[in-house]
This record gives sequence, structure tokens and C-alpha cells, in this order.
Amino acid sequence: MSPVQTGAPPVDEAPSPTRSLKWRAIAAPVLRNKSAMVAVFVLGVFVFLALAGPLLIDGDPKAKVGEVFEPPSREFPLGTDGGGASMTALLVSGARVSLLIGFCAAAISALIGGTVGILAGFFGGKTDTALMRTTDYFLVIPDVPLMIVIAALFGRSTWNIIVIIGIIYWTFTARLIRAQTKSVRERVYVQRARALGAGNSRLIVRHVLPQVTPLLVANTVLLIAYAIFAETFITFLGLGDPSTISWGRLIENAFTDDAIINEAWWAVIPPGICVMFVVLACTIIGQTMEDALNPRLRTGHLSVRRFRVLPSPRRQEP
Amino acid sequence: MTPALLEVEDLNVWFDLPNGGRLHAVQGVSLSIAAGTRLGMVGESGCGKTTTVLALMGLLPPTASVSGRIMLEGVDVLERGEQTISPHRWKDVAMVFQGAMNAFDPVKRIGEQIAEPMELHGVATGKEAAARVRSLLETVGISPDRARSYPHELSGGMRQRAAIAMALACTPRILLADEPTTALDVMVQAQILELLTHLSDELGLALVFVTHDLPIVAQTCTHAAVMYAGRIVEQGPTDALYHATRHPYTRLLWAATPDLESQDDVVSIPGVPPRLDHAIVGCPFAPRCDRAEARCVAERPELRTVGEGHVSACHFAESLEVVA
Amino acid sequence: MRGTDYVVKRVLFAIGTVLVAITLNFVLFRSLSGDAVSALRCRGCSQEFKEYQRRTLGLDKSKWEQYQIYLGDLAQGDMGRSLRTEEPVTSILWEPLKTTVPMVALGTLFAIVFGVATGVVAAWRRGTGADKAALWGGLGFYSMPPQWLGLVIVLFIAGWLGLPTAGVKDPTLGILDDPGAIEVLVDRLEHMILPALTLGLVIFGEYTLIVRSAMLETLGEDYILTSRAKGLKNWSTVWKHGFRNALLPVITLVALSLGFIIGGAITVEYVFSYPGIGLLIVEAIDQRDYPVLQAAFLLLTLSVIVFNLLADLLYFRLDPRVTE
Repeated sequence: MSPVQTGAPPVDEAPSPTRSLKWRAIAAPVLRNKSAMVAVFVLGVFVFLALAGPLLIDGDPKAKVGEVFEPPSREFPLGTDGGGASMTALLVSGARVSLLIGFCAAAISALIGGTVGILAGFFGGKTDTALMRTTDYFLVIPDVPLMIVIAALFGRSTWNIIVIIGIIYWTFTARLIRAQTKSVRERVYVQRARALGAGNSRLIVRHVLPQVTPLLVANTVLLIAYAIFAETFITFLGLGDPSTISWGRLIENAFTDDAIINEAWWAVIPPGICVMFVVLACTIIGQTMEDALNPRLRTGHLSVRRFRVLPSPRRQEP
Repeated sequence: MTPALLEVEDLNVWFDLPNGGRLHAVQGVSLSIAAGTRLGMVGESGCGKTTTVLALMGLLPPTASVSGRIMLEGVDVLERGEQTISPHRWKDVAMVFQGAMNAFDPVKRIGEQIAEPMELHGVATGKEAAARVRSLLETVGISPDRARSYPHELSGGMRQRAAIAMALACTPRILLADEPTTALDVMVQAQILELLTHLSDELGLALVFVTHDLPIVAQTCTHAAVMYAGRIVEQGPTDALYHATRHPYTRLLWAATPDLESQDDVVSIPGVPPRLDHAIVGCPFAPRCDRAEARCVAERPELRTVGEGHVSACHFAESLEVVA
Repeated sequence: MRGTDYVVKRVLFAIGTVLVAITLNFVLFRSLSGDAVSALRCRGCSQEFKEYQRRTLGLDKSKWEQYQIYLGDLAQGDMGRSLRTEEPVTSILWEPLKTTVPMVALGTLFAIVFGVATGVVAAWRRGTGADKAALWGGLGFYSMPPQWLGLVIVLFIAGWLGLPTAGVKDPTLGILDDPGAIEVLVDRLEHMILPALTLGLVIFGEYTLIVRSAMLETLGEDYILTSRAKGLKNWSTVWKHGFRNALLPVITLVALSLGFIIGGAITVEYVFSYPGIGLLIVEAIDQRDYPVLQAAFLLLTLSVIVFNLLADLLYFRLDPRVTE
């Protein structure tokens, strides 16, 4: 084989990555994508509401401030719920709890899944088999029913719910990170560093982690969507924390307070819309990041449209 | 002089870029291929050789725009794009792709896939098609019983040969081969080249061979075209290109080829090819050329005849020393 | 026979998972939760019943012995007794199971058929309006909590369509005269449609995205280009080569979505007061009837394991590359 030297370095031999490269890999595609930017904005709005909540709402959002199931008016832009509390106040304070649960649970999942994935991928062999076998067994057990059962058995505090969601979803992350770790481990600069005598922990922290983190972040964003969704399941079945309000709780309240019979759509629709928007936003952002890191979806070879033929000047006949 | 089987006139291909510009991937390529000719197209990655060959079959993505004429036995098949080109696919012009290892559908048997175009184009069906498949496999040196195998059950070399068999299914007149021997070991490579040469000689099959591996061209092809930055910079009979090189780029390409017998160092060509999203003024190779002069940067050299059927796009084509 | 080892391996794995599930079930309901299934903390239970539980569950023995008793009971089909009615759990599960299965089957079928159709069309017509509509539609439904969608449907659509929103049968049916089989069937279907539709829509969202993604990836493979080069029309390529290959990852992902389907079914049954396993679970949670919850959970887990095994075997059947 005699490839012509072109002076450009062969593509496989990427130089050792710098810290800035890591964030650009996932931030750039999001910034370029219009839908992703809209999603970021939407998410930002909700995060703002969650953080600024206590400042915007005076007093206890659950307090009865109006009649039961009052339709939207100037005073209550989204009407009141089955207890006479303002829907707007409930939604804003619900944002706080729902997002908190979402972020924390996702973080736990990411932590466990990431650790398991890196250990399995890096050390391979027996550790890998043992870890993956365990993961496989737990993957088959249905996630949502397991969460419901654990919640039913072990109590209904917010913290419990966070932990429950967190320990269910780590398996997805683990597989993904394991695959990535394996491919990073084979890269030239890692081999080089090892040849120079770098120890395992050093290799993991300085070489594997920077390469794996972008994917982990992308996955975590998707996990937030899963977590918020899971919370609505748990809460709807009456297993939520009775002292806190989350969007899932509001949907449950609407149901148990017979909002439907009262045709109080304002008690039913808004909390679901909020969940939808946040889940949608996180899914779009997370997916954009993941697609940028795993460019499998390159050009398709089929398309409905065709290549264009431009008219060319006809040659003079000799 | 045998009439040309395939005549390409002034072929240009542009690709729309996501940021709004256009990439001029193929710039005014003209070729003339007669039956039994084996044309080697060489050049660095990105020089436009694969795109040219894909254009000959109309296998361009919707982001592409094409102009020029592709005359198949006197008829312009590019005239209305997909409409006029698609009837000729596989029947008249067939292709063996780069990395043909993956050209097969992994869930279908080899024999079925080779027979598919036969049935599609009405060449043969049922038992007759099956018999043809077996004979094709024999021609490329694979046991006919392997027709019932799945692609993953064949070795890389065998899959490549099966891909050639598949390309020949409808007895095309022209076979386009894009890097058909890359990633194959030397022995298999030799077998495949021998096979292709044989087919060309026996059946009058015209071959267009895209590769960056020059020794293959020297060994197998009757003619060669060297591409750079989307253009043909030198073209002619292989002998002439090898013994009477008339373009600095071609010369450097030969020099960059490791030669077991020579004592010289391998020379690499410094620099990188130019970007094709802007128009280039002057000779595209000027920045890397060892003989560039002021004229080269200012004025673009056109292809001019420097020998029998031998053209070169260099201002100094005639005066370049002949390298043995 | 090809891959007997593969089949054996998967069956063994399934059996292994069953053991893990049973053990997990035991650990959750007996050791970690302090014997939730015993009647110890049950306020409505009679003293005799509490004694009965203590005896049959072996509460005065070691955990390991209790586990063995538990396994023995399961082998004989004894899943304990409800804390609320003191009846054997198995007799309580049967009716709701018969009610749930058709509803979930209907919803999932709807989701598969429409999800696949939309996903394939979206991938094939990538970038067009159809693709965008499918993508956003899929994303939209995927992000809706099923219980919320159920409530919305009840609020706005049920009345308009004239479909019942609670229960599984019309209580007035059969009072005045014997209803014919058709009438009963229609009545059942009427009650099944809305919950099935709700469940189906949410899953449809997920499946559209999965199928689209799998199809897009498949359409980027080399053999698709080969198919086009051979002269096959687009739709023919999609059907003959794209679909079968895209189906493989879809099967895997659908199998992984079973947990979600079950979760969705539970909430949907609650919203529509549809007396299936889901509603049974909700009531059991509410009334702290843990033996029923334990049995239902085990039953659901076992079904998922069986379905996963079937999916594995189906995958094996469809993909000739799977041999180890």
C-alpha cells in the first residue's frame, strides 16, 4: 500500500484532547440548532421560575384564595384548583419540586451509571462481565412497575422518590458509557500514556474522563426527561410526598378532585403542558448533543429529491 | 480508432454546503473510454475521482448539481438527470464500490442479491438466473455453492469478488471500480486485478479504476488520468504517463511511491490540496509545486496535447524533463 | 441447527432472570420492608387470619427457610392471600388479567402499526414536511404523561365520540334481556377503545422516533447505495433492503419499552376506572394489600421476561449474523 503523503495527519490519530474541546463538542451543535436553542430557552424559563418561585409567590401556594374550580380570570390567570388555590401559584412552586426531582434523580443515575460504565469499559475482563451481567438482569425487570412497588413499600418522601428514580435508570447510562470507554481505551494517546507508565487512576481521570464526559452530559439531560416523567407516574398513583407539590401531584389532584366532572380544564391542562414542555426540551437538547457525538445519522443514500442538472452550452460541431 | 463507448464532456459537479456556499467538486472533466480500455483515475483523497465516477451513474445526493454531457454510445444520458440515467444502471454501467465488503445486504444470501438485478432488468429469472449466478461466481473464483451463503460468512476478499460478480450480473459494457483492492492483502489484490484485466481483454469490458495506488495503475491500466482539485491535470496512455511524465504533480506522485528496488528516499508532497468552495485563480497545484513560477499563480493552465493521446495541464508541460 | 447454543443461552438467561425476579420480589416484600405481606400491621384483619399468615409464611423461621417456603408455594401456584378479602391471590388476579390483556394488546398494536408506518415514511422522506410532522408528532406524544392524555381525552373527546369513560361493561346490559354475543363484544370494545387509544398514542410517539431513527441509520448503509445503483426504485429499496435491516434494532428497543407500556397501562386503567391488573395494583397500593401487589408485580415481571425472550428469539430468526 502506498498512500500518497499529503502532509495532513491521518484522521485516526487525534491529538490528546484539551479541556476546551470537551465542552465545544456538545455546546456547539446545540447552539447551531434552532429547535435546540428554543428548547434551551424554554428550559431556562422553567428553571428561572423554579429558582425565583418563592420570590414570585407570597405565602403558601396551597392556601385557599378563591372559590373551588374558579375559571381563569384577571385575578387568577389560570383559575383555581379543587381546593381553591391559585393554579398559577401551584404551577410555579410545582416547577421547583418537579425540576429538583428531575435533576437530582438524573444526577444519581448518571453517577452510578457513569461509574459502572467506566469501570466495566476500562478494566474489561472479569469486572466487565460481572458488571454487565448484573446490568443485563436488571434491565429486564420492568422499570416503572419496580419504581411503583418500591415507592409503595418504602414510603413517600421526596428524597425517597429521587433515590428510587435514580437507581432505576442507571443501566441505560452504564451501557452507553461502557461502549464509549472501550473505544477511548483503544485510542493511541491512551496507549502512549500507558506505555509511559501512567497508572490506572491517572489514565481514567486525565484521559478517559474528558472523552466520556460529553456523552455523559448528553445522556444526563435525557435522563432528566425520564425522571420528571417517572415522577408523574409515581405521584399519580398516590405515592408522592403528601407535603410537597409537584406537577405530577397537580395532575393527580385534578383527577381525585373530580376536575373533569366540573369541567375545570384549567386544573387539568396546564400541569401536563408544563411536564410536556420540559420533557420535550430536555429530549431535544439531549438528543442533539448525543447525535453530534455519535454521528451515525450521516447522509442517507435515498432521497425523494434528485440531484439537479444544469444546462450546459452545447459544443460547436467541428 | 475504435468509437468511444463512453464520452464525458466538460462534467462539473457542485455540492451545496450547509452554510450556503457551494463546493465545486468536479471541474470540467472530460474522458473518452473505448471498449476494452482500462482507465485508471488517480489522485489524493478529495480530488474528485470518486464523485466523477458516481456521477457517471447518477448516484449523486440531492445536494448536488451537475452540468456537462455523459454520452453513452452517442446518447447524452445526463440530459434529464435521474430520469435519463437510471435506465442504464447496472445494464450498461455497473459499479464496484469502495469498501465493497459492505455492499451486501447482511440479511440476504449472496446468490439472491446477485440475481436481483437480473430479475429487475429482465435479463433472467428463476432457474436461469440461479444458473447465471453460479457461473458468475465461478468466473470470479468463488465456489458456486457459496451462493447460498450470507455476506458475513465470506472473507473480505471473497466478498469483494462477489461484488464484482454482482456488478457483472447484467453484462454491462462499463465497469466502474472505486478502490476495489484497498484493505485487501497483496495476494488477493493480485488475483482481483488479474481477474479484471482478464475480463476486460476477453469481454471487451471497459474499466474505470479509481485508486490512489499508482503501482496498480501502472500494472493493470491501459490509460490513466491524474486528478487534482477536481480537475484532470494529466491524462493519457499509462506508458506515457509513467515514462514521459508531463506534469509536476504526476511526477511527485510517482516519487512518493515507495519502491522496493530503488535506493531513493520516499518524497512526500508537502502542503494540502486547496479548498474547493472558492474559485481558484491560477494553477491549483502552484502552492505545492516545485517548479511554480509567477505565471502559474496568475494564469490557469489548460489541458494541452503533449503526445499521442496524452494531455497535460501545465504551462511547462513540454519542457519538463522526461523521467525514466 | 444453526445457533442452538444461542437459543439455549437465551433460555438459560431468561430462567436466570426469572430467578432474580423471584428473589428480588422476596427481598422487597419480605426482608427489606419487614414482611409487608404478613398481616402484622393490618388493621382490618382478624386475629385468626394473622395467625394463619404467620403459620403459612413461616414468620417464626429464618429468612432463608422463609425463602424456601416461598419458592415452594410459587411452584404450586400459591401466591398467598389477600389481606383485604383473605381470598387466594391467584383467584383475584385472573379476571383483571383477562380484562387488561386485550386492552394493552389493542393499544400496543395500534402503536406498532402506526409507529412503524410513520417512522418509515419519515425516514424515507427525510427533510420534507412529512418527516418534520412525524418527528414533532412523535416527540409530542412521547412527552405526554399518559394519565394526563387520558384526562384530556375524557375532557374533550369522549363526550364528542360518545364513548364510555369508565368501567368495562355497561351495567344496564343484561338486565332486561339476554344480550347476544355480538352485543357483549361491542360493549366490551366500546369500553376498551379509549384506554387503549390513550396508551397507544403515547407509545406510538416513542415508536415513531425509534423506527425513524433505525431507518435513517439503515438508509445510510452502503448496501442501500448499491441497491440504488442496481436500478431499484426508492420504495423498492426501502421495502426489500431497508425495512428488514431496520427491523432488527426496532425489536430490541420495543422489548426495552415493555416496562413503560406496563406503567402506562397502570395509569391509564386508573384514569378510566378500567378494571384490569393496573387498577387492581392501584387499589392494592391504596389499601396496603401487599400480597396482591407482590403477586401482580411478579406476574408482570415474568411476562416481560417472557416477551424479552420471544424478542431475542425473533431477532435470532431475522438476523443471520447471530450465531454465538
